[in-house]
Amino acid sequence: MRRAALAIGALALLGWPWVAPSYFVFLASLIVVNAIVAIGLNLLSGYTNQLSFGHAGFLAVGAYTAAILATHWPGAPVPVTLLAAAIVTALVGLALGVPCLRLEGLYLAMATLAFGFVVVEAILNLDGLTRGNDGLRVPPARLGAWALAGDVERYYLVLLVGAVMVWAALNLARTRTGRALLAIRESEIAAQASGVHLARYRTLAFVISALYTGVAGGLFAFVVGFLSPDAFDVFLSVDFVAMIIIGGLGSVPGSVAGAAVLTVLHDSLAGLQNYRPLIFGAILIASMLFMPGGIASAARRISAMAGYPDSGPPSRPTIQGDHA
Amino acid sequence: MTTAALIHVVVSGLATGFIYALMAISLVIIYNATRTLNFAQGEMLMISTFVGWAVYQRAKLPLAVVMLIAVVAAALLGWAIERAIIRHAIAATHFDVLIITLGLSLMLRSAAGVAWTHDDFPFPSFFGDRPMAVGPVRLAPVSLGIIGASLALMAALWVLFTRTRLGRAMRAVAQNQRAARLMGISVERVYSASWVLAAVVGAIAGVLIAPVIFLSSKMGIVVINGFIAAVLGGFGSMPGAVVGGMLLGVIENLAPLYLPSSIKHSVPFIMLIVILLIRPGGVVGRVARRKV
Repeated sequence: MRRAALAIGALALLGWPWVAPSYFVFLASLIVVNAIVAIGLNLLSGYTNQLSFGHAGFLAVGAYTAAILATHWPGAPVPVTLLAAAIVTALVGLALGVPCLRLEGLYLAMATLAFGFVVVEAILNLDGLTRGNDGLRVPPARLGAWALAGDVERYYLVLLVGAVMVWAALNLARTRTGRALLAIRESEIAAQASGVHLARYRTLAFVISALYTGVAGGLFAFVVGFLSPDAFDVFLSVDFVAMIIIGGLGSVPGSVAGAAVLTVLHDSLAGLQNYRPLIFGAILIASMLFMPGGIASAARRISAMAGYPDSGPPSRPTIQGDHA
Repeated sequence: MTTAALIHVVVSGLATGFIYALMAISLVIIYNATRTLNFAQGEMLMISTFVGWAVYQRAKLPLAVVMLIAVVAAALLGWAIERAIIRHAIAATHFDVLIITLGLSLMLRSAAGVAWTHDDFPFPSFFGDRPMAVGPVRLAPVSLGIIGASLALMAALWVLFTRTRLGRAMRAVAQNQRAARLMGISVERVYSASWVLAAVVGAIAGVLIAPVIFLSSKMGIVVINGFIAAVLGGFGSMPGAVVGGMLLGVIENLAPLYLPSSIKHSVPFIMLIVILLIRPGGVVGRVARRKV
């Protein structure tokens, strides 16, 4: 049953460019990119209770790293550019994660918010490299002599990388590290008592989260083809938070679902430019009031009603305030 | 740089700082009652200032009346939001309420754009624009006006919190909700009162700052600096909010004189990160110990 569903899903994803017009192929690439960020953010927020409003900043670091590398080294193969984006962003995540160890709840949210602003200012000021407000045109991703210039080629690149990232995230929960992170989520004190090095694993979560977002940033640069600092404002960070809230905290499939819902929503409301944030805000409030736990827990409830055994994480994780 | 020019910069920094302090106070009022951060505070400020401005455009009323209208609009808005939305999420985690206020801020900003477009509008000022000379120092009347009006408002708040039943009830709820309830305080009424009071303080700050930064649907972003001011002083403390606001306003204005001028917009965030790292409890606050 599960296998069949997975196989059908994989076939649908692979066949998508043959049935959909090119714009929807682009949109699908964007969904996968956002899903990678949402998974990364969820590893941080859903697994270790650390809320971040700065993931647009990480995305920008990854995107600009990939774009600058591809500009200055025209033949750079795409695995190298993506790896560079991942490593640079992970290092930035480490640099931010270590000092942020002392913060929790609201304070952490605000420090990461500040980080997002500082990244945008840095992009504006490093205009020798980033071309500041003029924006940076990204050359197509290359694989040897082959330039991935079309929407379809880029879609398959994004899909491949996305599949690897989803697989890694799903398996992370079964590793020693994943279990340590989940233990921290359930109770920091109990985790410490069982020998989980709190500081090390919280930092690690930050680094992994940044790494995911860095890879997504690299892909984003190639998919969109043009970078400018105003694309990475605080509202993008808010979107990422909304994705994991609507999708479901601590759930990998939930992250993907949340990313898909929000990306499609953003796109379908593009004609209603003025009303978009209005509708968007209303959805955010309604999902908080009426669907806590997001799509993931709603899906679990439905499948439980249909008689399937519960397969997801048992309880809805909560992010504690600083005064818990 | 002459001393006179330096004093001018510091005074205009203090004026900005008082606005930040008012924003910080309004955030802290809500935080102390409901333990949540109100992301929509800036947008509530923006909407009430817009309402005052719309009335002014129609009827050319005196500015004092305009401010009164903005304050009444803010009070109604704060009351309605608390009763219609926040009250229903009272059992939710603080994180959930944070997301709800985030949604609210998106909605209010968008609603203002629909009603009044996203353009910048000049806002009439209480104060003239001819600089006043005090000895060799030239000061902008608007700076002095903002400082004076903010001080008066802070004095009024101090009286409210220390001398009235409602103010004492609010402080009691901030300290210990259960004990406050056992003393016969209606915690729900304190929630309502806190949202109304915070909205009113915000509206006054909005009317004071609008002539300086222009009236626009984007002006609510000032709430971020208000939050930073509150953290600088120690989140949850009113005197801390005032000290933090002053510090932020003055340093933000002084920094471009000694550092590359492009740094001005990053100053608040760099200050936030630094203070969180070296003194997370704020300049005047103390670190809250977490109990097991």
